[in-house]
Amino acid sequence: MPVIDVKNVNVTYRVLMNNAGSLKELFRDAAKGKARVIEYIALQDISFTVEKGEVVAILGPNGAGKSTLLKVLAGVLPPTKGTSKVDGKIAPMIELGAGFHPEMTGAENVLFYSALMGRDVKRVKERTSAIGEWAGVSDHMDFPLRTFSSGMVARLAFATATDEQAEVLLVDEVLSVGDADFQEKSKGRMHELINSGAAVVLVSHDMRAVLELATKAVWLENGHIKMIGKPAEVVAAYEAH
Amino acid sequence: MPVIATPIGAVKIQLIPELVPSTLILRALIRYPLSIMKYAQLIRLLVGRELTLRYKRSVIGIGWTLLNPMLTSFVLWVVFSFAFGNRLIDGQQFAPYLMAGVLLNTFLNQGTWLAAESIAANSEILTKIYVRPELFTISAAISGFINFLIGLIPLAIVVYVSGQTLAWTLPLVLVVALCMTLFVAGLGLFLSTLFVRFDDTRNIVGVLLMIALYITPVFYPISILSPTMQTFINANPITSYLEIFRWSFSDNASPTLLDWVYMLSTSIIVFLIGSKVFKKYWPRTVAML
Repeated sequence: MPVIDVKNVNVTYRVLMNNAGSLKELFRDAAKGKARVIEYIALQDISFTVEKGEVVAILGPNGAGKSTLLKVLAGVLPPTKGTSKVDGKIAPMIELGAGFHPEMTGAENVLFYSALMGRDVKRVKERTSAIGEWAGVSDHMDFPLRTFSSGMVARLAFATATDEQAEVLLVDEVLSVGDADFQEKSKGRMHELINSGAAVVLVSHDMRAVLELATKAVWLENGHIKMIGKPAEVVAAYEAH
Repeated sequence: MPVIATPIGAVKIQLIPELVPSTLILRALIRYPLSIMKYAQLIRLLVGRELTLRYKRSVIGIGWTLLNPMLTSFVLWVVFSFAFGNRLIDGQQFAPYLMAGVLLNTFLNQGTWLAAESIAANSEILTKIYVRPELFTISAAISGFINFLIGLIPLAIVVYVSGQTLAWTLPLVLVVALCMTLFVAGLGLFLSTLFVRFDDTRNIVGVLLMIALYITPVFYPISILSPTMQTFINANPITSYLEIFRWSFSDNASPTLLDWVYMLSTSIIVFLIGSKVFKKYWPRTVAML
């Protein structure tokens, strides 16, 4: 049983030509017969599986549909056609710190962010000081987030997101958080999570990281899969392209 | 489906299909709240955030929730007490009459506004983490509910100052407030879908909410209107909510059974339609966030 099973996923956005952003414009365009709906295809016929312990890297140029694919896997964006099944708890490490608010304290933000990810609030409360300590911001946890430096915010977000073991990790270029010391530390934790048997989907432009971590690579181009296979072969073909 | 282990194996008890026909109304009353209750922890955090964040940088903080309806009521009282103050039925008092109207109208106005903005305002979260999107809208409606409950304290003071007492039917205010929460949540779910898609719906809703203040008997007694106008005002469901609220709080109105039926049915229907529309268009809505 694969942990992630993506079958014939299509995502199309309906875009109004002339981009009517208001009802008024829509009525005006419709009256003139100019309101045309075009379908923008973001993903086309994507199928692949990820087994437990597998690390799948998604490669491709900007606009190939990598972020859209991660959103589909995270369950945020329902596919227009096809199915995306994910079995188990997801740790979405896509732009960390979604929902962080500058006026709430560090501890409050940790709690809220964790609750958004579906974690048990009581258990997180007991973990809060440990999370703050790991992120190196223990002294600041009771101050509003606006008093944190941006590096501190990023560290706290990473520490919170990775605090609980998940069956599925969705990673979007988050391996470079904070200063050199913290990067080492976060890399270590990522390896820990990956080695613990989670299924990982990783979007990266860093080919060295891909070769080092991935067990499978998927090359996306214009919304469809151009190549899928062993990382070394896919990376070689992608770089030669 | 409950399963009981017996010596001859597992026997499925067919309780649910028989006792609970899956009609729409029962779904709204039982299944939906149950499915939302699973997220009680998150809802509590969302409501707390809604209530406190707005006042994080103010001196008296959440005290504004108390002060706001009092100030509005005072202004309206100064303006209208001369015109309408002695037009009420004997035994009714204008000050609590007016303030009850202001409180309920604030609930409708602010609650709907917050709920309708809740999806666009939280797009950052909704495009990154899977959370049931309705939770944001429902939490906004619940924070309107709590603000309303807080506002009952100054209203009680006004009731006593104007020589009335609280009625024994006071607990029924909770029913009105819950119906209002459903109504506001449903309206918010419907509008939030529109808000994401079309910017100018905000202006239209702003005007409609202003009209709502005038087509509800907030600051005038309904008896001063012509029979035709009375029919029109009575067709506004919020009029029923308000009549029941005034009556149950300090016996300051006389709602009929029809008002109760109207209140209960509109709250459920509006909520159902709102969530249906919201669900149906969610894939398109999230693509535009």
